Amino acid sequence: MTMTHPGLPMAWALWVLTSMVLCTAWALLAPAPTEFTTRRRSFQSVPFVAGLSRYLVVHSWPLLLLKILFVGVFLLVIAAGLWGTAIPERNLATALTWNLWWSGIVIAILFTGSAWCAVCPWDTIASVLVKFRLWRRSQSNSLLRLTLPKKLRNLWPAIILFVALSWLELGVGVTASPYATALMAMLMVVFATLIMVLYKDKAFCRYFCPVGRTVGVYSQLAPIALRPVDDDICSRCETLECFHGNDSIDACPTLLVMGRLQESTYCTSCGNCTQSCPSQNINWTMRSPSVEVIQEARPHMDEAFFMLTLLVLTSFHGVTMLEDWQYSISQLGQLIGDSGQLLTSFTVGLLLSWLLPILFYFSLISVCLLWLPSGKQALSREKLFSSFAFISIPLAFSYHIAHNLNHLLREGTDWMALIANPLGIGSLPLSMVEKHQRHSGMWLSQEMLFSLQALLLVVGFYLSMQVLRYRARRLFQLRVYHFVPVLLFAISVTGFNLWLLMQDMVMRM
Amino acid sequence: MKKSIQAMLGLWSVFHLLLLVSLPVSAHHVLGRPAYSLNEDSNTPPSMAVETQVGNFFVTYMAFPAFPKANEQGRVNLYATRIDTGLIFDGEVRFYVRDDHWLQSVSKDSEEQLGTQLIDDGVYRQGFRFNQEGSYIIRASFEADGEPYEIDFPLQVGEISRVSTLGSVVGIVVLILLAANIIQSRRIVRAKVQSASAENAKNRHNGKSI
Repeated sequence: MTMTHPGLPMAWALWVLTSMVLCTAWALLAPAPTEFTTRRRSFQSVPFVAGLSRYLVVHSWPLLLLKILFVGVFLLVIAAGLWGTAIPERNLATALTWNLWWSGIVIAILFTGSAWCAVCPWDTIASVLVKFRLWRRSQSNSLLRLTLPKKLRNLWPAIILFVALSWLELGVGVTASPYATALMAMLMVVFATLIMVLYKDKAFCRYFCPVGRTVGVYSQLAPIALRPVDDDICSRCETLECFHGNDSIDACPTLLVMGRLQESTYCTSCGNCTQSCPSQNINWTMRSPSVEVIQEARPHMDEAFFMLTLLVLTSFHGVTMLEDWQYSISQLGQLIGDSGQLLTSFTVGLLLSWLLPILFYFSLISVCLLWLPSGKQALSREKLFSSFAFISIPLAFSYHIAHNLNHLLREGTDWMALIANPLGIGSLPLSMVEKHQRHSGMWLSQEMLFSLQALLLVVGFYLSMQVLRYRARRLFQLRVYHFVPVLLFAISVTGFNLWLLMQDMVMRM
Repeated sequence: MKKSIQAMLGLWSVFHLLLLVSLPVSAHHVLGRPAYSLNEDSNTPPSMAVETQVGNFFVTYMAFPAFPKANEQGRVNLYATRIDTGLIFDGEVRFYVRDDHWLQSVSKDSEEQLGTQLIDDGVYRQGFRFNQEGSYIIRASFEADGEPYEIDFPLQVGEISRVSTLGSVVGIVVLILLAANIIQSRRIVRAKVQSASAENAKNRHNGKSI
């Protein structure tokens, strides 16, 4: 028996559509101001928490404790996957990885920015194995310190790995196998170790890690980030310890200079800059949400492809839960003689679903060039493509959270039972009664969930309109109606995601 | 400008036409993944089921109990329905078993026939009892439309040892670190030799000059 979650009701869908119409009209009619008014305030300047926040970022032990905690949980996940029950909902490996971490990490970005990377167990274990230390300078003999080939110094490795991860998750079905989950976790550690051994700095974090780059891209929307407390101190700084490190603290692993940092995409929140800055001028800062994505982040082609991939694969998660998708893959399987898990057919479907929407965006950008006023038609397609790809971030983020809220709120895992028996030894599969209990026992009321989902879609669409307004103004000195094809892309994506949310969704476990 | 509007409207229409023709649907279950279930209203033990597609058939395989043990009676149930018509396959199905080992997958020598079953109330039931724990492959074989069908399903009897998996991963990491250490040590030695040679050459050159 398959348990399904009911989709978003029509009334909420109409509310979303009405809000979209209003947002679109506003974006078309209201010209964007030259500058997006932003505000920033460091925790270091907030009364009562100033001292504590400075202490926490300057001293290494709080982060060390968190790293140890997360490595401990990670090792428990591996142990549960290797030696625990094969029943996914009774095993901590699958329940924690796919129900809590995979769903929760995106929501956590809202509150903690890219802080996940600071406690990431893949990097922590690799650092201990290779360098024998976590942030101090290392003279380990295991570091070959080669330079990553120029062709790999972009986000394409992360894009390929992200698609591969989606293939493993949705095609192979590692989410339903504790053993495969543990194996995947271990392989990521091996890969992180290999890259750390071979290449200097943290090439794995910057160029390869699909989770880290997803966190990085989404954290452009976060209302919290590591930034200078006082910009003047950074502008007067000539030693750049945040970039070079100092005698004991390692350099920035992703080669960022805090004083000039405009986007959090590559910041791993590792804390090297907070510890090495002689003026203790780096701290967590509250800021206007989404300011980076609206105007500060600079466009690059590889990042644009990553953002679009993120957008497409986020929606693809919803698509694979449709019966039409299953039917199409089954038909394709029959056509090409595929059998068993229909992995070849799934792979073809995944590649098409990945590339076609990007091609659709590319076509709209091409149309955009023809649409522009005569004086602006010399603008390059690449510049338009990368500049407006930023609209993908709020659209992907909003659907990502809206979709995962279903998993988080409806698929209530019995955490007490899992903590008591993380390996699920001797446990039985979920009975029908338990499935019904989990289905009906939500953390929030269903109406609250629907309202949150609808609100998320509207906020995502509103932010994409903001991106469009400000980027059209700042980068091209034009208005939204000059970029109507891009506007149509945002409407299409939100419309499609809304339709996906309206469908019944299968329970993951 | 007119062309661009037409192109844009065309793309827009195609995209939304695709959305409109897709009617609201219910959710899915994924082929090929084992699913474990327990029916508290039935006296059957927990089961493991795998659904798969082969040629013109959807095949469902169920193992009772879900986690069989050595010297314990168990059975597999098999259902096969035509994808196009939904009709149940009612021919003869032969069941075989072999060790689940990559070497065995290319050889049929070690395959043992479990039995041949006729349909019973829409289901093929094949009993089994294994004396040894291990990973096995159950092969269901039948003929339909003049074509042979062979479907392999995994069956785990008893506990699986995962020490080899962990050992392999640890081994790979150790190998990586060892190789890096050897390469780096050689680089250091080579750098020292080169530096010493350069120093000697410099000294000789300075000596001659003096």
